[in-house]
Amino acid sequence: MERWALVSGLGGDLEVYEQIQRELKKSRGLERLFVLGDLIGPRHNSDALLKRLQEPERGDLQPECIYGWWEEQLLAERGYRGERTAEALRINHGNDAVEGLLTSVDSGHMTWLASLQFGFIELDCALLHGSSADVGDELKPTSSPLILLDRLTRLDVNRLFTARSAQQFRLDLNGGAIDSHIKDLNGEQNQQQAAPKRSVIGIGSGELFSLYAPGSDHIEFLKAGGKPVSRGLGFG
Amino acid sequence: MAHAVISCLHANLAAVEAVLDDIDQQGIETITCLGDRVGYGPQPNEVVELVRQRAIPTCQGCWDEDIIDGLNACECSYPSQLAERRGHLAHQWTEAKMTEDNKAFLASLPTSLRRDKLLFVHGSPNSQHEYLLPDMNAFAALERVETAGAETLFCGHTHQPYVRELRGGSIRVRVQHHDSSSSEEQEMTLPMRRIVNAGSVGEPRHGNTQATYVIHDEATGDLTIREVNYDVAKTCQAIIDAGLPEVFAWRLSHGFEYAERADDASHVCER
Amino acid sequence: MSQTWLISGPPGCGKTSWILTTIRSHPGPCGYLRLSGLSEDGLEQGHNAGIDLAWLRDQRPQLQDLSQSDQQCADRADDQLNLIELQQYRPPTDPGVDGIDPRISNQLKALQLEPDRALHFGREPELPEQDTLEFNRLEAWNLSLHNSVWDPNSLSSFWFELVNGAYGDVYRAKALMNLPDGRAFFCNWIVSQQGSQFLPLERVEPPTGRPDRTSELVVQGKALDSNGIQSTINDCLLSDAVLDMHQAPLREQQPDLFQAKR
Repeated sequence: MERWALVSGLGGDLEVYEQIQRELKKSRGLERLFVLGDLIGPRHNSDALLKRLQEPERGDLQPECIYGWWEEQLLAERGYRGERTAEALRINHGNDAVEGLLTSVDSGHMTWLASLQFGFIELDCALLHGSSADVGDELKPTSSPLILLDRLTRLDVNRLFTARSAQQFRLDLNGGAIDSHIKDLNGEQNQQQAAPKRSVIGIGSGELFSLYAPGSDHIEFLKAGGKPVSRGLGFG
Repeated sequence: MAHAVISCLHANLAAVEAVLDDIDQQGIETITCLGDRVGYGPQPNEVVELVRQRAIPTCQGCWDEDIIDGLNACECSYPSQLAERRGHLAHQWTEAKMTEDNKAFLASLPTSLRRDKLLFVHGSPNSQHEYLLPDMNAFAALERVETAGAETLFCGHTHQPYVRELRGGSIRVRVQHHDSSSSEEQEMTLPMRRIVNAGSVGEPRHGNTQATYVIHDEATGDLTIREVNYDVAKTCQAIIDAGLPEVFAWRLSHGFEYAERADDASHVCER
Repeated sequence: MSQTWLISGPPGCGKTSWILTTIRSHPGPCGYLRLSGLSEDGLEQGHNAGIDLAWLRDQRPQLQDLSQSDQQCADRADDQLNLIELQQYRPPTDPGVDGIDPRISNQLKALQLEPDRALHFGREPELPEQDTLEFNRLEAWNLSLHNSVWDPNSLSSFWFELVNGAYGDVYRAKALMNLPDGRAFFCNWIVSQQGSQFLPLERVEPPTGRPDRTSELVVQGKALDSNGIQSTINDCLLSDAVLDMHQAPLREQQPDLFQAKR
């Protein structure tokens, strides 16, 4: 049965990535590896990791990458986002942080980074860094269920995998309903809408990653170099 | 106390005058405008000046933003090349026609207005370009109002008036954290909220040529959609006199939008 | 022995449709000619833009074009049925071939055609009953759209405006229009009928540039705003660059089949 590995927030750390690849090799049935953004970060020079992602070594599970918040800052500062710059980074962490980011990534990687997509839709699942609203949108287990449902509805998917919060969690929206009364120039009508059963899954960040089986809807929360964090919740 | 909400004036002076007259006749003094004072219509300066003169609070519409920031600001996608060309022509004409003073005024408009638990926007709290249609997902609609911290949300942009009340809602939620093997389910009760679309004064799209706006009685909570007749022929003549495409006059006189595709039985099937 | 029939009637009464049905049911070969009619007082003829011939030949590729006068009688088979279409507002004074206007007969003689039968819509029981309108005054306008390609949604909007009176009182509109994916449509509207006909042509052109086939618009009505029509059409037609944007993905789907025209 197909399983996905979901990783994010590597922040340029090649060691963590290699550790995860070694562990993935030992897992059965893994067919796909998704890296959900923040490949680069402020703490490491990212060149070696970026090269490895673009040119996997023999035996590596081929990574499928999207851009995250840090990539968005770099792309904006380097002119790939029209008039925008790394404003959010500048405001939160100052000019030094922006300069640090620029020097941590060789300009030769920019074309590849600019080619990365916002997210993937696979088998009725959305795989994003933030959410369908924004790459920086932080979805947490304490986020309003209305907001979570809205982010799922925007893409009309049943599962939304997110990494921005760096937390590992599974939030199931298990149903509900709402009445809608509409009045317009043609008259009035009442409708009841049921809340669909959908889930938002935080996949973790850095050494915290997740394994997901779409067939059984089973999620496993893991930590590289450690014991399994949770067997997760599944229906298989 | 009752107040009126108007939207999408689109430089149609005769329609604006008729609606303000209707509001005045009912003794309503508080009026809010949800933007798009200009766009396609033949009298942008006159309409802006009339609304300024009446000191009607206004939020910025997508067309108002478009005139100030240039066409790049508008993310509305046109459904056809014909609609796009007509939209661009109308934009260039309006931009050239407007006085610098009136443009500066449009630039000064806020993207939203708030009064107690009432929020006034052009499209949605997220964007001047987002359409809040009456049949959009009810939970998503509720999210728009609730996240904005309002109880009643007034919007325009669609040119089709409606009042939508969302009530009796609940969602069941179960959360599992990374280190917990058990989880708990909770039922969250959702508050009652309303979305009110004021339709359009200057470019109706609800099936006839009457201007529309809404009246809200804050004491009783009643919401009324008003239809107002105006001298359409006068605006049509102004369109022709202004040198705008004559087909704009035809479309307005038949209750069609200026540059979108009207629903019709002669649609070319592309399957 | 080959047969030659003259089918006449006012605009939009269904001549071409009846001819197509007849061609389909005739076991032997067929020939077709659309004759330039005679402008009667205040009633302009719609320009013979080749729309009907192109449409009929798309549906029946073996159809012989009788307007090619270099084709001799000998080329016409014994069991050939020749159908001649003539737009004529007013019924002939006499029934049958005796009622054919001499000017029409002379045109036919030059093409070595002599009708055995003459049928007029609104008079013959053999022809279907259609609403045939009384025309008093009619203008005609036409535009060649050769090499032109329409933005599909724009075509919908334009046609809607045209048949609903945005450019004058249109009684009849007929066209062959090209779309960027290589399809073409026969568009047909008469004021007496509900809704328009949009019939796709059988032949689909490859997505390798502008199609080289008959494409025309013919309009008949009153107080026609030809400047307005032309202006709107200009806004609906695709430029080379936009056409290529539509066609490039289609070529990529089947790269071996299509190569871009130089």
